[in-house]
Formats: sequence, structure tokens, C-alpha cells
Amino acid sequence: MADLGADVIRVENESYLDSMRNGMQVFPDRPSLNGSGMFNNMSRNKRGVTANIWHPGGREMVERLIKTADAVLENFSAGAFERMGFGMDHLRELNPNLIYISISGFGHAGVDTTYITWGPTAQAVSGSTAMSGYPEPMPPAGWGYSYLDHTAGYYGAIALLEGLYHRKRTGQGQYIDVAQCETGMMMGGVAMLDYQVNGREYERQGNHMRWPATAPHSVYRCSGEDRWIAIACETDEQWDALCEVLNADDLATDPLFATNMSRIQVQDQLDAAIEAHTRQWDTRELMYVLQSAGVPAGTAQNSEDKMEHDAQLKSRNFYATADHPYLGPRRFEGLPLHLSRTDWQLQHGAPEFGGDTEQIMTEILGYTADEVTQLKSEIAV
Amino acid sequence: MTSPLDGIRVLEIGDRGEACGLILAAAGADVLRVEMPGFGSAGRRQGPFIADQPGQERSLHHAYFNVNKRGITLDPSTGDGLNVWRRLLERADIVIDSTGPGVLDEVNAGYDSFANLVEDGKLIWCCITPFGLTGPWKDWEVNDLVQIALGGPMMSTGYDDHEIAPIRPDGEHSLWMGAEFAAMGILAALYERETSELGQVVDVSIHESVSCTVEGAFPNWEYAQRLVQRQTGRHSSPARTAPWQFVAGDGGYINLMGGGIPRTRGNWSDLMTWLDEFNAAADLREPQYEAAVHSDPMVATTERARIAEVIGAFVQSRPAEEIYRRGQSLHLPWAVIRRPEQNLDDPHWIARGFFSEIEIPGYEGKVKVPTAPWQMSETPNEIRRRAPMLGEHNFEVFNGELGLDAQQLVALAGSGAI
Repeated sequence: MADLGADVIRVENESYLDSMRNGMQVFPDRPSLNGSGMFNNMSRNKRGVTANIWHPGGREMVERLIKTADAVLENFSAGAFERMGFGMDHLRELNPNLIYISISGFGHAGVDTTYITWGPTAQAVSGSTAMSGYPEPMPPAGWGYSYLDHTAGYYGAIALLEGLYHRKRTGQGQYIDVAQCETGMMMGGVAMLDYQVNGREYERQGNHMRWPATAPHSVYRCSGEDRWIAIACETDEQWDALCEVLNADDLATDPLFATNMSRIQVQDQLDAAIEAHTRQWDTRELMYVLQSAGVPAGTAQNSEDKMEHDAQLKSRNFYATADHPYLGPRRFEGLPLHLSRTDWQLQHGAPEFGGDTEQIMTEILGYTADEVTQLKSEIAV
Repeated sequence: MTSPLDGIRVLEIGDRGEACGLILAAAGADVLRVEMPGFGSAGRRQGPFIADQPGQERSLHHAYFNVNKRGITLDPSTGDGLNVWRRLLERADIVIDSTGPGVLDEVNAGYDSFANLVEDGKLIWCCITPFGLTGPWKDWEVNDLVQIALGGPMMSTGYDDHEIAPIRPDGEHSLWMGAEFAAMGILAALYERETSELGQVVDVSIHESVSCTVEGAFPNWEYAQRLVQRQTGRHSSPARTAPWQFVAGDGGYINLMGGGIPRTRGNWSDLMTWLDEFNAAADLREPQYEAAVHSDPMVATTERARIAEVIGAFVQSRPAEEIYRRGQSLHLPWAVIRRPEQNLDDPHWIARGFFSEIEIPGYEGKVKVPTAPWQMSETPNEIRRRAPMLGEHNFEVFNGELGLDAQQLVALAGSGAI
């Protein structure tokens, strides 16, 4: 939302810190609330205020902010914001046309609303974890990060934009209750249908592809330490091109590998035979040669590959630079879309802790400089 | 008005934008899925199929990803088809075009050919492509496996044993990521249009959508020039961490975020009481273990390893759902690892009304599908129709809305335009 031009004000408090502010310190010898690289990336383009809602003056400041806002977004555990005194009824009293959007693990309605999630919890319950990795007896590989923290945020933005559009057309605000686990379940819809219609329980496939069944479809070791390439042949032309690029007579002439149907029957053997060839190759070199031969192939890129050697991301300036007062000029992950007339902009890094409190209080909320000083001295803001 | 996008007309063409159309259709937009005459979309040939028998109207992939949409057949690369396409565009608010860079332009059916509608009109034209509309890789051949490899999730995902290849999680997530950002871009353009009364082109790159969905892998490189290493069933990390994922007493899997180590002393004390019920606390009553509660979960220590070991041994003695329910009742973020279908009967999702029932042609009885991952107080979600059969709404759209008569429709069908 901030990238797209919204004035996003992050409200924080020292006694209930965002753990991101302490995480991944860029200068470990001088840790600071402004020293987290992770926070900088996630909160770029936002402004920041501090407020102590347990002090009447701090609470009033937050209420004035709510009165001026188009939307309030929080992702506390379900019920927490209400216990702080900010239930939907009170929010409506303050601002009748407000959009209040909450993102929690299980949502505010239902029977397990006290349950809490981190990304991995939601991934486990929703089915996302079980859908990753090799078949039994191998355990699930899951996701190597909090995928559903991203996804819940993405859906939160979509829901909020829908709410804002509805409000623009009708003047009506609303209450939006996003459940992180449900964002994960959306992506398991086909498996749910397969179970209901065909009685089939979901089974992991490693890197193979069952729907549609195509082979080869896997990830192969290349030269160097832990370097890999993904290759998928969806047509016989692509298979022929793969054999030619690899100069692999053993693959091209083996009747077991002659057709997609036959290759599917012997996938493990096929993968081993292909890997005997790819091991000789540098992954990027092989990717370029295969792509120029029309074979779907790509290096399993790590962050160094993407940020230093990915010609595509470079050509679109995906990792653009912006300044941060404590961390200096840094690269950020761009928004993966461009609007031709009103494109998004990277303007600045994350706000310093409470860095915009004074400005926002005087410019938006109508406080005098003396009032701000007084509230600061009482640790209300 | 009952849905946020009531009255908004969307044309969806191509095979990589299905999830974006699904999201907009769930919000009440009238999404017309445009498919190739005779052939249909690629999703119709993608399993699983009803009773495992392939067929144009038997794909469960199609049945899920096209809920709430209407369906027409149209080939805009034919002269007659292009005329119909133009008339549809004149009535549309949004195009979801995932046919690939330049594919529609080549037959004068792309956004460049309809600048009068986009730049000088109110049409929002969203291109969802593997790499975006520009750049040296824009015409590369890819599928989900390749996109997940190139974008980075794969190198963060897999097993402790690095002899095993990194993993692509199943579920065409690269298409979901692209679709989610496309929905954001389209909605932002739609919101902006209320003021400017102008449309625009939205260029969504799936590669970039995947690339920015990697959490810690990005800051680790940008700020510390560190690469993260994949680990079994838990977060990747620059240094090896203790396991989070265990096999429970009934053979089910469970996920104990951070090794199951509580983050507060209150949680720690509740957990110890629970372990004591089963004489399973071992040496964890020694003070150094309680102190470890506040240590950084991403830093491996001998205390954290020992706590995880004891908890791991305990959870292996009890059923997975019990560990999940009891753990959550103590406010621990513990989870059972369910397959997607194991959520269908969970009372919580039923109480929230998360699932809706739909019909599928060729299958007797109704099936449950996810509705939308949120509840809205004023514009509730509802599933209004099942996925369309091929060309199901041709007459309704071409005759009822464009005013083409039966004779013209026969001619269009005869020339392969519809």
C-alpha cells in the first residue's frame, strides 16, 4: 500500500516492540531499533510514530489518528486489539466510514479463534507444508520460510483495496477479517476436489509433476557446491533438444526414454541418467544453452544469483536503492508490477523508531509543538 | 451493492491468469473466461480428472480455478474474432491477459492496438507474464518448476541433507504469487480510475513476484552477504538450527515452531506442567533451560537443542491432533501438519463459512471449495456459479449482450472465430 502511494503510518510502542526491529541487525556491534535490515525492507515507504495507549494522552493521539485515517490495519492475535480498547464498535464511533482490517491466524469468527500462528504454523495446518517434498516415508520439506506471512499480507492488500474501492463508490466502510490459514487453504483447492470426487488423499511428488504428467520434470545437480538446475520437458521437441544440448546419446537412443509416456514410468532412472550429464555443466551456462534451444530450464537461484547475476531482474531495476538514515543507501525488493500511468515509487527506507511522531502530530493531528513536548515528557508518545 | 466489484466486467485470456480471475470473480466482478474455440484452456487438459478420465469437462483444475466465471470461446487472431474481441473490449473494465509478451499484439489484438481504449479510455489491461513485458529473458520457456527455481524459493526449501535436490512446493505457487500481485495492481488502477477516469497497462512479472516472496533470503544477502541453507520442514538459515518438525505418536506430522520452545516464561511453566503429567520433562526443570526461553530462536545453542530433543521425544508419544489442540490451548503456536483435504471437516472453517458447495458437470453431488480467505462485514463473499463449460455462455454474451443474431453466430462458428 505504501509503495502504491498510500500514506502508511506505522504505530509502535517500546513496551510492545515489533520483534522485526531487533531481528537481523546490520551492525551487530551497535544494535539499534533502527538497525534491522529485515524491518527496513518490509517497512520502506512508511512513516512511523510511537504511542503509549496506556497513557490517556497517548491513547488520544492514536484515536485522533484513527479519526483521520481511511483504514486501520493490525495483525495482532484475534481479540488483542479489542482488549486494547479498539473493538470495531469503538472504531466506528471514532470514524463511521473506517475500513478496519485485521489479519490473524484463524480469524476473529469461528471456534478456534484463540489459536495463534506464525508462518510455519499456518503452513502446517492449511496443507501447504504437506504439499512440499518427497513421498512417504520422506517427511514433508515444507517451506523454508514464512511463505504464508507473505501471502496473508498479499491477500490483506487485496481485501483492503476491495474495501477502499467499495467505499469510494458507496461511502461505506467495513470490517475485514483475514485468516492466514485460509490464505494457505485457497491454494489447496484442487487437492480438496480430488479427495472429494476421486477419494484420493494428497500425496507428495518430490519435484515431479503429476498434473499434467510430464517427464523429465525435476531438479538436477550441476558442477560446483550445491548448484542445481530445474528442467522440464513438456513436448517431445523439448526432449530432443535437451538430449542434443547435453550431447547425450544414451538418453536419445534408450527406448525406455523414447516418449513422455515411457519416461514417466521410469522417472527415477531418467533423472539419474540426466544428472550424470548435468553434473558436468555450470548451472548458468546450461540454463542459457537450454533456453536458446527452447527447453524450459532455470538455475535454482540463491540470493546472490538473483541480486548480482540475474540479467532479467537487473534490466528491470528490480532491486532499486533508497536511503535510510541509520543504514544508509540500501537495495530493496521492488514491487513486481508496473502501472503505465501511475507507477509505484521507492521513496525512502523504513521509518526510524518514532521518527515521524512530531511531524505527524503537528501537521495532521493539530497538536502544538508545546503539547508534543509535554506528551513526550510523559512518555505518552 | 453486495460485492466490492459489482458491475465490473473482466475479460480473462491466456492460461497464467486463472487465479487472478478467480480472486476478482470472488469479489463480484463479472469475469468472462475467453477460451480457444474447440480446444479450451490448457487447464481443461490438466488433471486430476473426474474418475481419472480426461475430457474437456472433466478437469478438477478447471473446476476450481474458474468458479464464479462465465465462459466464452473466441479466437481473436481471426478477422471476425478480432471484431468480436473489439466489441467485448469496448464494454470491459479490465483485461487479464496472460497470453505472453507480444502474442496478442502480433494479431492486432493486444493493448498496443487498443490504445484508444486503454490510454485514452478507461480500460485497465493487465499483462501477467513469466518475466514481464521487457528484458532479455522475456521470451524464455518456463513452467512453475522453473519459475520457483529462478525466483529463489527452491534454494530455501528442501531437506537437511544437501545430497537431496532443493524442492518445488506443489501447487503452482508461482502462478498464485503473480495472480496476487496482479489483483493488487488491477485494484490499485481501478481505484485510481475513479479520480482520473483513465485506464492503464499493468505489467506483472511472475519472476519478480516469486523473487520478492522469499522472506529472510533477501536481507541476509543484502545486509550480510550470507546465503541461507535449506533445512527439513523449517526455515532456511545461514547456520543449521534444531528441528521443528516431528512425527507424532500416531504417525502424523506436527510442526513446533522454533523447536517448540516457548517464548515466554508463562508458556514455559504451562508446558512443564503438561510434560509432568506424562513424566516427560526429563532434566528441563534445571534453570538454564527456562532461561533459554528468551534466546534468539534463529541461533542454535546446546540448551535449545536439548529442549527441542525432550519436547520432540514427548510429542512422538502422543497423537498429532492432540499435540496441536493441547499446545494451542496453552497459547503455543503448535500445529498439526494436515493434507489439504483434512481441513474439509474442521469445525472452525465450517463455523466461519469458509467452504461453499458447488456442482461439477459430470459428477453427481456437490463438492466443497474454498470461498475467499477473509470475511467482509458489508460485502460478504459468496459463490454464485460453478466453473463454465466450454463456450457455455456464448449465446448469452454474443447474442444477449452484443446483439449478434443466430445467423451471425453460425457464421462466426463456421469460420472458427468462436
